[in-house]
Amino acid sequence: MKKKALALLLASAMVVSMAACGGKDNNDDSKSTPEPSTTAGPSTTEAPGNTDPTSAPPDVSATWDGAYIEADDYKAYISHDLELIVSEMQDQLTADQKKAVESAKTAGITAINNAGTVAEVGKAYEDAFNAILACVPLADGVKTFAGEKNDERTNMLGILETYAVRNGITGISLYENGSYNMYNPRITLGTENYIVGYGFGTLAEGAITADLDYESNAAWKRYYHTLSASDPGTLNYLDANGSEVADFYSYISASYFTQFMNSTKDGYDWVPELAMEKPVALNDDDGDGAASKWRFQVRTGAEGLKYSTGSKMADRAAFNNREVALEDYETPFKVLLTQQNQLFRGSELANNTTGAIVGAKAFYDATANGYNDELWKNVGIKTYVEDGKSYFEFEFTQTMSAFYAMYYINSSLYMPVPQDFIDLVTVQNYLGFNKDATQTPVDNSLSLGAYYLETYNQEQEVVYKKNPNYVFADTKYSIEGVHIKIFPAAKQDATASFQEFLAGHTDAAVIPQAMLDEYRNDPRTRTTTGNSVFKLNINGLDAETWEYLFGENGVVTETAKSDYWEVEPALGNKYFVQGLQHSIDRVTYANARGTIPTVDYLSSNYMSDPENGISYYTTDAHKKAVSSLLEETDGYGYSLELARDYFRIALTELEAQGAYKPGTEANPTVINLEVAWQGASQEESAHNELKSLFEAAFNDASVSGGKYKLNLEFWVGNTYLETYDKMQYGQFDIGFGSISGNTLNPLDYVSVLSSDQTISGGFTLNWGTDTNDPDAYPIVYRGERYSYDAFVTAANSQAIVKQGANKPVVEVGYTPITKNEDGTYTGSFQVTATLPELTKVTPESVVCCNYERYRNGDKEYAEKEVEFKTEDKGNGVTLITFTVPADLAADYATGSGTVTAPTGITGFDFYYTTTFNGDDQSASHSVEDKF
Amino acid sequence: MTAFIILSLTYILVKLLPFERPIGGDTQQISYFDKQYNLGYVYRFDHEVPEYGEYLYKTPSNNGRANYYYQVPIIKQYANWLKNIVTKWDWGYSKTFQPNVSASVIIGSRIGYSIRLNILSVIFSVPIGILLGIWAALKKNTMTDHTISTLVMIFISIPSFVLISFVLRIFCYNLGWLPSTWPTDSATTAMKIQGYIIPVFCLSFGSICGYCRFVRAELCEVMESDYLLLARTKGLTRSQAIMRHAMKNAMVPIFPSILAEFIGILGGAMILEQLYGIPGIGKLFILALNYKDYDLLFVDMAIFTTLGLLAGILLDLSYGFIDPRIRMGAKK
Repeated sequence: MKKKALALLLASAMVVSMAACGGKDNNDDSKSTPEPSTTAGPSTTEAPGNTDPTSAPPDVSATWDGAYIEADDYKAYISHDLELIVSEMQDQLTADQKKAVESAKTAGITAINNAGTVAEVGKAYEDAFNAILACVPLADGVKTFAGEKNDERTNMLGILETYAVRNGITGISLYENGSYNMYNPRITLGTENYIVGYGFGTLAEGAITADLDYESNAAWKRYYHTLSASDPGTLNYLDANGSEVADFYSYISASYFTQFMNSTKDGYDWVPELAMEKPVALNDDDGDGAASKWRFQVRTGAEGLKYSTGSKMADRAAFNNREVALEDYETPFKVLLTQQNQLFRGSELANNTTGAIVGAKAFYDATANGYNDELWKNVGIKTYVEDGKSYFEFEFTQTMSAFYAMYYINSSLYMPVPQDFIDLVTVQNYLGFNKDATQTPVDNSLSLGAYYLETYNQEQEVVYKKNPNYVFADTKYSIEGVHIKIFPAAKQDATASFQEFLAGHTDAAVIPQAMLDEYRNDPRTRTTTGNSVFKLNINGLDAETWEYLFGENGVVTETAKSDYWEVEPALGNKYFVQGLQHSIDRVTYANARGTIPTVDYLSSNYMSDPENGISYYTTDAHKKAVSSLLEETDGYGYSLELARDYFRIALTELEAQGAYKPGTEANPTVINLEVAWQGASQEESAHNELKSLFEAAFNDASVSGGKYKLNLEFWVGNTYLETYDKMQYGQFDIGFGSISGNTLNPLDYVSVLSSDQTISGGFTLNWGTDTNDPDAYPIVYRGERYSYDAFVTAANSQAIVKQGANKPVVEVGYTPITKNEDGTYTGSFQVTATLPELTKVTPESVVCCNYERYRNGDKEYAEKEVEFKTEDKGNGVTLITFTVPADLAADYATGSGTVTAPTGITGFDFYYTTTFNGDDQSASHSVEDKF
Repeated sequence: MTAFIILSLTYILVKLLPFERPIGGDTQQISYFDKQYNLGYVYRFDHEVPEYGEYLYKTPSNNGRANYYYQVPIIKQYANWLKNIVTKWDWGYSKTFQPNVSASVIIGSRIGYSIRLNILSVIFSVPIGILLGIWAALKKNTMTDHTISTLVMIFISIPSFVLISFVLRIFCYNLGWLPSTWPTDSATTAMKIQGYIIPVFCLSFGSICGYCRFVRAELCEVMESDYLLLARTKGLTRSQAIMRHAMKNAMVPIFPSILAEFIGILGGAMILEQLYGIPGIGKLFILALNYKDYDLLFVDMAIFTTLGLLAGILLDLSYGFIDPRIRMGAKK
């Protein structure tokens, strides 16, 4: 069907000059940069699998003879690709741009249609692609779209997702980790239909209608019974870096806002919990709803808010029913941000870049020796009473919408706590055990949440009881308590938890894969969506770019020559990866595992409108973004016919590029791909199935006539981290895994797709596209073209954009020192502002470092400031020329004087302040040199 | 000295594992390394320190100077650990498993479960194993002997943690007679007693088979000896000869083996404790390893090492008590 439609399209193509765009010379080399491109482009790598040097490959660059796909079919696919590019950007183009782009496309398709060889088709495509790009100007200047409303944020996410899908940086999605759950018939769920991002409302809106016979403690028979494979050991979320502690802590904690099921039971509403109203902007000067300073009224003892504890210790029990004071709201921030307390989440709060609180970092850095009341005044957290009402005020370092102001301040970490309770139990023991374990978390915690801790038997059970002081105690959480049994067997045996459920010991369980067929249609079974998509991550780098990123002098990591990864050129070909995409029968694959088949990068739990619980999965922006993966498939990206066509195109192109040479039917060229799995169980349950799917699609005689053979091998990590390390450092072909972020802010989460680790937060797992190259693939927004990095940064905060690419405020260059006649040395730093009109650079100092003495001498470190002069070179360039006095140079060159052949190694630290758009930021730049 | 060597080697080998770091951006990395610094596992400097080798992490330099994190040399960590034990009898505290709680307190609260379980297992397995062995020996080369020997061969091959899976499936999930996990401290006394049945049974199974085989072999050998023939020719009945002479001599190598078996059971209980959720020191060892809670791991290791060595000493001493012919270092 598609082929016929495309053939018609080609027939109607008209010849229009590409000059219509008035722009780019197709052979223009001016965009070349000093860095190698990371686009998945042609490779000259010799085929590793070619085992027949005597067979002469067909010269497909000269003729279609020997190509694996018919010329018309090939051209149709290539032209369709151009069609997609243009249709994706249509909504963001001006009228003039639309005309120009349409002309460029039509001309390109005609050129493709007229091309006679594979190489000519490739050239025609590349020319048309560049011509289309040239129709849209590159963005420049300071860009921020962080304050946009949800609809627009959804559109931006759609644009980013489209880019990611089309460039293969989402990897190959397999399934979403939804599951089949079974519930004890004594449980009445809040709703029978799973609410994305909320659940069934089991505890908040559900009920228990009968006793659990198995429970021997009469008081707990109506408690909700569940299992945990491990004991968190503490409930101190303030000092925990995993999710396990947070899960246990969540029962006793409250936050400023919470979510409850809506009245129609098909979504949820945000409801003030400790707060009494939604955040109100205090500095929304331009009236667009975005602000950095916010406040809301909070509940205190005056509104009946009281603490609860289950402790029997007299000094702890004294806090039971104690009223919440306004100053208690500041206490958790003070505790967290006092560096001396050494709390993990405190360090995280201080170092946050998104949702950072004014003054938090400075306070943290200055409190290594304890809390400082004077410095606290500079932190953007305040409480006060106005007109008899208690207010909590907070200020972020950047502006944001009302929802995201609420979102970033809404953490259970900030649940109020009296300072005298902290003093009593100590920061170290808060929410945990004391040193001799005579006090348990029951004694060292206070609750404002739906439950309070009743019992904590280490490694046995954790029991919570309904908190009568909870804000919504009368209307929500009617279940009397929660009993969590620690059940280590769940780690070893996938069916153990389910057996416990079937034996009537617990109230809910996930049906394990092995028992799905038996229980899938049981009336007690409910299905859920997931929060993560499991996928195959792809290393599509060519050898040259791999070396640039990961080689001996790699910019991501440095790898010894002997450990270089031998990249597989096929994975750098987008049609080959598309072939793999379409080879997977996701429905069968997911059904066998009780999960949800998907081609999406984001799970259905990610919200387009987190305020109203609308999943991004349901939006038009998303459907458009993934449409190219679903066309003419089973609805989940599976089509053997398409897969084989894409493999044929890939082989044709790869051969034309010289990446592979064909073998023979008896001795085929083998394309070996290694799949990295996170553990033996994964490999055992999934590898062979995946291998057979890929190999069945590719090794079919209709693809290459047996000249090529695809072979999948596996590698298994000892820990999941080992596998992620492989992917982060490019030591893989295909890697299985999943990462997930906050489902309420998917626009921020897709930063992880950047090839720049500073933007992705170290989560770049798919390699092949330089996401800061605006010419790699068009991202068009409001008539301007961006790189992925620039756009995702602008969408979430503020980007400094130059020629469409994301840039730092300044870039610093260094000119090495040279010796003068008088024995002094002179060198210079050159600071170039990306946006000179908005940037001021103030050099602070240049420090000369005695590395010779430090490294080769007596290990003593010494440094000394040297004189410098500043020169404004114009156009945003500032030259800082420094001079090292002769005596200092002579001293540092010989180090401590104990080394017979000093190397003279030294270093220079340049300290400066940049003032950008009125904001000051200190920075430094360090270099090494030699006297 | 042996304990010291074992513990030292354990410490150094465990600490030689590659330094683990989290996935995530700078915020996560800084928080993680700050935590490691607070725990005393890494150094933090505001400049490079080449003598510590390659730094583990460098903070982004956005406020002037960056911080560099280096792993504290293992030998230095070891020296600190040893110094605290020797000078303050401080074995450290749990970092991740039960944060802030003294490692020795954690061990102390769990060792009772393991000891009780193992003593019960010995009490249960020794008489049964010995009786079965005697019975098989007395019925040597009969159907009874063949049946017992075959069953012994089968069941001695099944580890306790494999056996427990079958037992759980049958007696807990299918029949519902016994608790499927270790009853909590808040459970009824009856439930707590029932909780011992499965682990004691599973732990004892291998021991019963071992004792049975051992006793049978020893007794058969003794029963074919000349002195037993002499006893019979002197007019003793078969029962008298066996009870007065054969059993006494056959037991000489069997009693010391009970001590050895006790230590063996402790080791075997590790996985079984984990599977049945028994809060003993065996399970703790596995958890401490998984959590990388080193102080806890080393105390647990010290307990196992000490128990093993003590058992060895007792074993050697017991030979002298049981067989008067054996005198270690005795003067003529």
